[in-house]
Amino acid sequence: MARFAFKGGVHIPNPYPVRKSEIKQVPPPEQVVLLLQQRVGGEAKPCVKLGDRVLTGQIIAQTTGKFPTNVHASISGVISAIEKRPIPHPSGIDAMCMVIDSDGKDEWIEIEKCDKEFLNCTPDKVIQRIREAGIVGMGGAGFPTHAKITNAQGAHTLIINATECEPGIMCDDSLMQEYPREIIRGIEVLMHACGAKKVIVAIEDDKPEALNSLLMYNFNNRISIEQIPTKYTSGAEKLLIKALLGIEIQSGAYASDHGILCQNVGTVKAIYDAVIDNKPLISRVVTVTGSAVKSPRNYEARLGTSFAQVVESSEPNNQAHHIRMGGMMMGVDIPNAQYSICKITNCIFVNNKKPQPTVKECIRCSACAPVCPVNLLPQQLYWHSKSENIEKALEYNLTDCIECGCCNYVCPSNIPLSEYFSFAKALERKLTREEQRIDRSRERFEFREYRLERNKKERTEMMAAKKKALKEKMAKDKEKDQEQKDKIAQAMARVEQAKEDKNNA
Amino acid sequence: MIESVVIFSILTLALGLVLGYAAIRFKVEGNPLVDQIDAILPQTQCGQCDFPGCRPYAQALAKGEAQINQCPPGGQEGADALAELLDVESLELNAEHGETKPGHVVYVDEKLCIGCTLCIQACPVDAFVGSSKVMTTVIAKECTGCDLCIPVCPVDCIYVKELTPTLGTYVPSLGEIAHG
Repeated sequence: MARFAFKGGVHIPNPYPVRKSEIKQVPPPEQVVLLLQQRVGGEAKPCVKLGDRVLTGQIIAQTTGKFPTNVHASISGVISAIEKRPIPHPSGIDAMCMVIDSDGKDEWIEIEKCDKEFLNCTPDKVIQRIREAGIVGMGGAGFPTHAKITNAQGAHTLIINATECEPGIMCDDSLMQEYPREIIRGIEVLMHACGAKKVIVAIEDDKPEALNSLLMYNFNNRISIEQIPTKYTSGAEKLLIKALLGIEIQSGAYASDHGILCQNVGTVKAIYDAVIDNKPLISRVVTVTGSAVKSPRNYEARLGTSFAQVVESSEPNNQAHHIRMGGMMMGVDIPNAQYSICKITNCIFVNNKKPQPTVKECIRCSACAPVCPVNLLPQQLYWHSKSENIEKALEYNLTDCIECGCCNYVCPSNIPLSEYFSFAKALERKLTREEQRIDRSRERFEFREYRLERNKKERTEMMAAKKKALKEKMAKDKEKDQEQKDKIAQAMARVEQAKEDKNNA
Repeated sequence: MIESVVIFSILTLALGLVLGYAAIRFKVEGNPLVDQIDAILPQTQCGQCDFPGCRPYAQALAKGEAQINQCPPGGQEGADALAELLDVESLELNAEHGETKPGHVVYVDEKLCIGCTLCIQACPVDAFVGSSKVMTTVIAKECTGCDLCIPVCPVDCIYVKELTPTLGTYVPSLGEIAHG
């Protein structure tokens, strides 16, 4: 087996290759729509009001909770709306967004410098800086980077994931060619933040230019740059770690449990911007590609720029389009280009509309099993997911499925297997939630019954005690009364006696 | 012949003793059937089944004093599950007990609330927070959607809010996946 190879996965060459991966700068747009819903940590709370003027780089919303992240204004202008808008999500559910109308000045907010030299800052301060800059995993997962680094502090190895997420995406490739110096510096910042002594940068072997440009700028002997075979899903964290280090991370465990921190190369660039250049995360590199565009290209665009604006620059044809955010394997189909770029938008596919291949019955060929990179049995999972037999699907390790879509790709019947699995996972979560809710209702109902019963009992007991006390008191009073009467009688008797004695005398 | 009679008598006695001991040692507390039925019921505690809560209904079912089709929140699926557990023919939901409504919770229009506490007393799961002559509100997370508070409110300030799927709770539809 080739060096750093792994089992499963599929080799798909880039369907729309370009000769030179360059990054075209997209000018700040007239209007940005910034998504407040974060992938992890719920909805960010706005900290500016409607009609406020904001500057580029200003924090406009924050999430609280376990992994707080910030949302920054990506242009300067006036907040013109805070409302629900459609977002690129398979559900089609609208989510809270903030709209900024540009004033055309792109005026930046004053941001305090970390230090002249990041090495003078403590790792905690560097991590805080990363948190304030609102950096999340730029590969597509969107997990808050500061939380990931904090969890992995004291790691021995840092892995930089420079494999492209999916075939067709070129944004990481172009980043490495355009910003090799920044990426190496960003890696050094990360090393300082997490304390890792060794760094491996993993680049797929179909990107020799990126490899060369990084090699040219790498003077740090603790950073080794390695080529790995080009094969889809090599970018999945656990698989990459297994291929590079031979460490298998168990189901339910994290890389940080093994002293490993894995970061995407795009995230590294964002960290460089935040710590060295004092710029929060307000832009990202997006690949625009597909059969309907004349020139597939990478763009650096402000967050919140509409898809339509960047797609326009790639000269799309006049036919009907089929637009997809993310890669050809795991992306999300969206109805039109009226969506905006968010922190995890790595690619926009614009394809000519063509009829979907018809889905046929499963012929039990089991072609899906050998390509599964996490060694599952997609066919078994398919039957159980389709029949909503969640218990059985869990027995076949449904939760370990990474929904990479390799099984869909090889299926001769065109069955969207991974969609069934994501359905089954969502159903499983729903059933668990329901069960928890039902248990809580039962508990609360039973406690209420108990409480009412207890109150009743306490009341009767209290009444009984009162009655008893009253009775005792009455008995006592009677006794006292009798005593008094006796005393009076005695006194009367004494008086009578005295009178009699007097008379006799 | 006599030996076999003796052997079997001794065997019967010994096994009888073992069974007798087991019946005491492994005695099942309570009625497991009631628990099993209760586990299927939706725990809305709405009383639409004519019993004062899910557990009383489960007890009545276990005794054979109720029909399996008296629980509208459980829906037809619930009736079917009960039929399977109790090994009886499934029945169609009895419309007399009300209709199955989509998942919902209630909320209080706090501006109108007069603090009469009637809803607090009506709620089977203590989902109301409030006190006499002060504003009352619902802990939405604990509300089961039983609607028992709605008729008791003298100022009609309790409303129903349907639960719509959010980004976190969304489940794709199987039909859409199958047909692309």
